[in-house]
Amino acid sequence: MGLFKTLAVFLRIKKKEVNVLVIGLNNSGKSTIINHFKDEEDKQSEIVPTVGFNVEKFQNQSLSFTAFDMSGHGRYRDLWEHYYKDCHGIVFVIDSSDKLRLVVVKDELDLLLQHPDICNRKIPILFFANKMDCKESLSSVKIAAGLGLDKIMDKPWNISASNALTGDGLNEGVEWLTQQIRDTIVNRN
Amino acid sequence: MSKTELNPSRWLEAHSDRSADLTTLPKHLLLANICGDGDYRLVLVDAKFGDDISARLKVYKGTVLCSDQSLPDVPSALISFYVDGIEPRTPVLGVACGSDLLIYKNSKPFYKFSIPPLSISALEQDVWQKLCLSSDEPYEKIIEALESVPLSELSGRSQKLLTLAQQEIEDYVYKYRNAELRRICPITCMTTLYRNSEDATSVSYPVLATEFGQLYVLDSQTFTILHEARISNTKATPSIVVAAGKFEVEFRILVACRERYVTLIRKDWLEGKNILQTTASIVDMLIMPGDKFICIATSDKMLNCYSKRGNKLWSVATAQAITCISLVPLQHLSLSLVAVGMQGGSIHLYHSRHPVDYISAPDTPSAIVFGQMGQEDHVMVIITLGGTINFKILKRTADFGLNQDTGISPTIQSKPLPLPKRSKLFLEQSLREKQNPTDMHQSFQQDLIRLRLTSARTLLQINSDQSGIGNTKEQIKLSAQVLGLGPTFTLILTVENMNPDKALIQLSAIFHCNPENYQLSLYTLPIPFVPPSLSYKIHNKVIECLNDGLPKDEAQGNNTIRVFIVRNEQIQPVLAATINMPPTDPLAFTM
Ligand SMILES: Nc1nc2c(ncn2[C@@H]2O[C@H](COP(=O)(O)OP(=O)(O)O)[C@@H](O)[C@H]2O)c(=O)[nH]1
Ligand SMILES: [Mg+2]
Repeated sequence: MGLFKTLAVFLRIKKKEVNVLVIGLNNSGKSTIINHFKDEEDKQSEIVPTVGFNVEKFQNQSLSFTAFDMSGHGRYRDLWEHYYKDCHGIVFVIDSSDKLRLVVVKDELDLLLQHPDICNRKIPILFFANKMDCKESLSSVKIAAGLGLDKIMDKPWNISASNALTGDGLNEGVEWLTQQIRDTIVNRN
Repeated sequence: MSKTELNPSRWLEAHSDRSADLTTLPKHLLLANICGDGDYRLVLVDAKFGDDISARLKVYKGTVLCSDQSLPDVPSALISFYVDGIEPRTPVLGVACGSDLLIYKNSKPFYKFSIPPLSISALEQDVWQKLCLSSDEPYEKIIEALESVPLSELSGRSQKLLTLAQQEIEDYVYKYRNAELRRICPITCMTTLYRNSEDATSVSYPVLATEFGQLYVLDSQTFTILHEARISNTKATPSIVVAAGKFEVEFRILVACRERYVTLIRKDWLEGKNILQTTASIVDMLIMPGDKFICIATSDKMLNCYSKRGNKLWSVATAQAITCISLVPLQHLSLSLVAVGMQGGSIHLYHSRHPVDYISAPDTPSAIVFGQMGQEDHVMVIITLGGTINFKILKRTADFGLNQDTGISPTIQSKPLPLPKRSKLFLEQSLREKQNPTDMHQSFQQDLIRLRLTSARTLLQINSDQSGIGNTKEQIKLSAQVLGLGPTFTLILTVENMNPDKALIQLSAIFHCNPENYQLSLYTLPIPFVPPSLSYKIHNKVIECLNDGLPKDEAQGNNTIRVFIVRNEQIQPVLAATINMPPTDPLAFTM
């Protein structure tokens, strides 16, 4: 949270707006993670699972977060890919207890990385291996291997295990992402 | 990273466990939300047919076995259905073991329904009474009486008795001495039927068929018999039952029998009607959603489709013997495929009679199910004869190339054509045809050739006719029309967008001519947005430059105007055309 503030302050100086996309399959914990970063007063106590195409947005000073489910077959694809164009960082949330769908995550990730609005840009990607508290969950190392993250050469990426219910691991990950976004902005100017 | 890109399969290989060691028959596998948490589980029966026969009911959460309990007997079928509307909506499981339907709620035994036993003939009762009383009469003598009764009308106990060797009889009789004599009727197959709504989570009723050809529809709350019918008026041993419709409104229950026919039972019918007969044994049967066609796999490597009434629509030969089939409903594409599992491990997906996809399993599949599993909508679970469990997930971008109608030939006509009655004229004509067949044939051929010639001529004429010029790739057509007698002409140019989906944007027209010959009212013109399948007309005033008030000599000048259609910021023109201007009519000029 504090780190976000630093980035926000930094951005205010630079008069910039930063868009962060929070994506992943349905039920991976995106809404819960977003909720964690919201201020106390506007925190939702109960998260209802997102159904269909539901975009959640929240703005924290000059930082704006957009979250949506990569779910369904084709129907909403074009809609969500529309957001790829002007994002500065991606948070990719994975339910590490859903072993069955790891291939679907990989397929979606590959489609994301091949997307024309993403493939030639040096966008930092933060992976959350979420639900690390579940007993059948895979380790972040296994997930990185399963998704073939080592093959991502042209983009900075990082994976951290997290528990969105308690907030464990979220700050470490976001610290990294903040740094990356800041670096890109500094380098560009 | 690019692995999926290179891999042309429409399926993602999610998980495969060769050590699962499952023996699962086609009707022993289903996907259901049995915990009511929206995380759909895989439920299956694992039956072992070794020296001691045993069976277990297993539940998988994702790829992990999460519940495993033993069953009293090898079941004949497994179903899941909703019994009430209580939230969270949770279906129960039904397992048919012998003549019992065992109901499991939240994976725990909950209720048992038994098919009412059949009556025992007085003779048989008498025989057992005598046997048990251990009189001096030899057993063989008493048993002989049983042989006058047809085998199928005896209880299982008596049937076995008749097969025993002499020395075994005494022990056998002793063993059953005090047990009540019963003629149970085993359930051979089972399905579910919606009560009054066809939503996936609405209440449905179990439908059971027994070895002796009875069909029962049960109330899912009270487990009383709501409807009972004979499957056929002839001998019928049901092997597969499928149902469609709603019990309280109208329904169709189809029963495939080992005697190779299929019978239909509808609302209020007390006896089924045979609607079709196959030449080979029936391996599996489905009702297609929507058109309610009947899809039947037979043991002669054929996949057959019949209309609702049982008329054969088509059949296709498959590469290998079919071991199991499963419906693959794809709602987002509004289509239903049939997965056909075959000997050797290939699974072909059929859209109507056309194979549209090929999948491979580790070895011969013995049971396939497709549906929601866990959080994913389109999962195919395959259990093979070798005991492997394999999960495949349909890619979210897969569309089977069927969204365009191309490539699918029309299905064979199912309805007879409404032919009129034979008229007197028709009869006379056919008589004439019979009398002069050669002449008629020749004159027909002559006319046909003439027709072909005329059409070829017309085509040639159209092709050589420079009435329009087009760019087929861009799907733009340009045609020009020159109005007037001169020296002032109006040139009307029509830009036609042939593309039914895409609009024309960012185009301009450029007119080019020798300024010594013609003066135009406009030389360049940005073409506005042209919507799909519409056209845009450009009017251009052309004034011929006259030499001393006289038209120029034809040879002297170049009487053409060239038109280019260009896309903004693109060097090559999209379309170029030359318009030959007519010479100014001297008569008009003098006027
Ligand atoms: N055990 C556990 N449950 C989680 C965690 N994160 C989210 N959940 C639960 O997973 C479910 C889906 O979360 P949600 O944020 O709605 O996922 P979304 O569909 O990606 O927005 C909810 O029931 C959450 O309570 C986690 O780290 N551990
Ligand atoms: Mg959500």
